[in-house]
Amino acid sequence: MHPIELVNVKKDYLLGNVRVPALKGVSFAIEPGEFTVIAGPSGSGKTTVLNLIGCVDTATEGDVVIASKKTSDLNDRELTSLRLNTLGFIFQSFNLIPVLDVYDNIEFPLLLKKDLTPKQRKERVDYFIERVGLKNHRKHRPSELSGGQRQRVAIARALVTKPQIVLADEPTANLDSKTGQSIIDLMKEINSIDKTTFIFSTHDYSIMNQARRIIQLQDGMILK
Amino acid sequence: MYIFTLIAFRNLFKNKSRTLILGGVVAGIALVMTVLLSLIQGIQSTMIHNGTALMSGHVNIAGFYKISSSSSSPTVTAFKELLEIAKTEVPEAELIVDRVKAYGRVISEMDSIQVPMWGVNFDQEEKNLRRLELAPIKEYWDESFWRQEKADATSETSLKNGERIEGRWDDLNSRGTLVLFASQARKLKVRVGDMVTLSMPTYRNISNTMDVRVVAVLRDLGLMSQFSLFLHADDAREIYQIKKETTGQIMLFLKDIKSVPLVEERLRKILAQKGYVMMEKEAKPFFLKMERVSGESWTGQKIDITTWEDETSFLKWVVQLLSSMSSILILVLLMIVVLGLMNTLWMSIRERTSEIGTLRAIGLQRRQVFLLFLLESFFLIFGGTLIGALLGFSLVELLNSFQIPLTIETLKVFLMSNTLSFEIGWVQIFQVFIIMLTFLLIGALFPIWQATRLKPVSAIQNVN
Repeated sequence: MHPIELVNVKKDYLLGNVRVPALKGVSFAIEPGEFTVIAGPSGSGKTTVLNLIGCVDTATEGDVVIASKKTSDLNDRELTSLRLNTLGFIFQSFNLIPVLDVYDNIEFPLLLKKDLTPKQRKERVDYFIERVGLKNHRKHRPSELSGGQRQRVAIARALVTKPQIVLADEPTANLDSKTGQSIIDLMKEINSIDKTTFIFSTHDYSIMNQARRIIQLQDGMILK
Repeated sequence: MYIFTLIAFRNLFKNKSRTLILGGVVAGIALVMTVLLSLIQGIQSTMIHNGTALMSGHVNIAGFYKISSSSSSPTVTAFKELLEIAKTEVPEAELIVDRVKAYGRVISEMDSIQVPMWGVNFDQEEKNLRRLELAPIKEYWDESFWRQEKADATSETSLKNGERIEGRWDDLNSRGTLVLFASQARKLKVRVGDMVTLSMPTYRNISNTMDVRVVAVLRDLGLMSQFSLFLHADDAREIYQIKKETTGQIMLFLKDIKSVPLVEERLRKILAQKGYVMMEKEAKPFFLKMERVSGESWTGQKIDITTWEDETSFLKWVVQLLSSMSSILILVLLMIVVLGLMNTLWMSIRERTSEIGTLRAIGLQRRQVFLLFLLESFFLIFGGTLIGALLGFSLVELLNSFQIPLTIETLKVFLMSNTLSFEIGWVQIFQVFIIMLTFLLIGALFPIWQATRLKPVSAIQNVN
C-alpha cells in the first residue's frame, strides 16, 4: 500500500481565458518511509505536485490517492480532516502564526485533533521542542527567532501530530546554506528514526543529492 | 476554543492602531446610544412619576354614569363599596384614593383658562401629591404685574434652595381652595392668596360657579401641567351637585408597577363576578371616551378599569417621536460603523490571507476559520461597547447630578420636566449591548464568510 500515488495527473491553470498546463500527466508512487525530493527548475510543476499531494489543490484530470483515499472523491471537510490526520506541512516561508509563541504554534494542530489529554499534549509538544533544539525558546514569538529557528518550529509543528507524510515546499530556500543543511539533517534524522515519509521540493543540487529518491520534473512532466 | 480566543485577542493587540480606532468608534456609538436610551427612559419615568401624581393611579376603577342615553358623566356612583373591594382584593396596593373629575373654566381678574381639574382629598393622598414641587415665585410672577404689592401683602413666603416660594399644600385640606401650576398662574396673572372663580358646566348644561383661593402654585411639568389643577373634592361635588357617595375614579398605587396588568385583569374579573357592568378595554384617557359613551344608548353605571398608561396615552407620541428620532440617528451611526468594521475585516483578512491558508492546510475547518474571525469581531465590538456604555453611564450620572435646567420652553413641554432628566439601568445597558452586537456582528458576517471561502492553495501562494 503506497501512502502517495499519482496516476496520470494533469493540472491546468486559467490565466484570463488562456488555459496553461502546469502538469501534463504525472504518475508516480511513494513507498512508506521514503525520503524523496521533487526537483526541477522554477515553473516545472514542483509546487503543484506538492499542493495536490497536500490536498490543498485538486487535479484537472487523473487520480491523486493519499493514504488509500482518492482525493477527488472527498469534500472540503473530509480533505481538511485528511490534511490534519495524515499530512504535515513545512513551508518555504515558515508560515507560523505570528501571534503565538513557539509552544503554542507547535501545539496548535494537536488542539485541532483533540485526541490527546492536556498532559499527553504537553509531553508531546515538549518532546518535539527538545528534538528541534528550541528548548530555551519555547516562549519566543516567531518574530523573535532566526530563519533557521522558525523553520525548526515549522518542522516540529508538522511532526507533532505524527503524520504519515510530511511535505516540504523548498524548506531551505529562505535559509543560508549552513542552516539549510542543518534543517535537512534534522529531516533525515526524523525520517530514519520515525520512518515518516518525507517528500520535499528543491532546485538546490547539494540538497537534492542527499535524497534517497529524486523525481525530476520539467515543463510539467517527469524526466526520470 | 482557548487557542482561538488567544489568537483573536493577540491579533487585536497586534494591530493596536486599527483596534483603537475602530474600538473607539464602536465605543462612541455605544455612548451616544446609552445617553439617548437613558433620556427616553428618563422621559418615560417622568411620565409615570408625574402622570401618576397628576391624573391617574397605576390602576384606576373609573367609569361613566348616564342619566339619559344622550348624556354621560365620568363618575362612579356608590364608590365606597368599590373602594372596599379594591382594598380587599388588591393587597399589592400601597395607597388607594378617590378623586372627583371636573372640567371647566378658571377666571381671574386678568384672564381665564379652560382646564381639566381634580377634586382631591389631600389628607388621603398627601404623600402622593407632595411629589409635585412648589414653584419659586419668579417662575410665575413678574414684577411688571400690576398687583404685586397687593399680593405681597397677603402671602407668606419662605426660602427653599435660595429661592422664594409661597403657599402650602396643607391648605388644600380646607374648602374653597385651589392649587394650580406656574404656567396657569402666569396666564391668569395670579399668585398665592388671590381669588379666582371656577365655572363648570354641569351634566344638565347649566354652569355653576364657585370662588376659590389660590393656596399653592406648583412647578410646571411640561405638557402634563396643561391638563391638571387641584381643588377640594367636596368643592368639586358641590359645583356639580353630586352626592358624597359619588366620585370620579378610585386610584390604586401599587408597590410594584410591574404588577399593573395582573391587578387590572383581576379587578375586571372580580367586579364582573360581583355584578358590575364592565366597559370593554380601550387604551385611551377618560376624556377621549366621553363622546363615544355619550352616543351609546345604555343608561346607568358602567365600570371601566384603566391603567396609568391608558390615561397618559395621549402623551405617548412624545416618547414615540423621540424614540423614532433616536432610532434613525442610531441606525445611521450603526451603518457607518458597520461599513468601517467590514472594511477593517477585509483589510485584516487580506493581510492574513497566507495565515488563513496555512491554518486551513494544517487542518482548520471552514467553520473554525469563521469562529476565529467572529471571535475577533466579537471581542472588538464587546470591548468597544463596554467602554462606551460605561462612559455613557458615567456621563448620564454626571449630567443628572448637575440637574441641568431646561431653559427652552418647548423642550420643557416635550420633555415634561424642568431639568434634563436621564434614567439608566441594566435594561438600557443590556439594550445597548444587544443592538451593537446584533448589528455589528451581522455586518461582520459577510467578510468573515469570504475568509472561509479562501482556497488553502491560493491563500498559501499569496506569500509563497
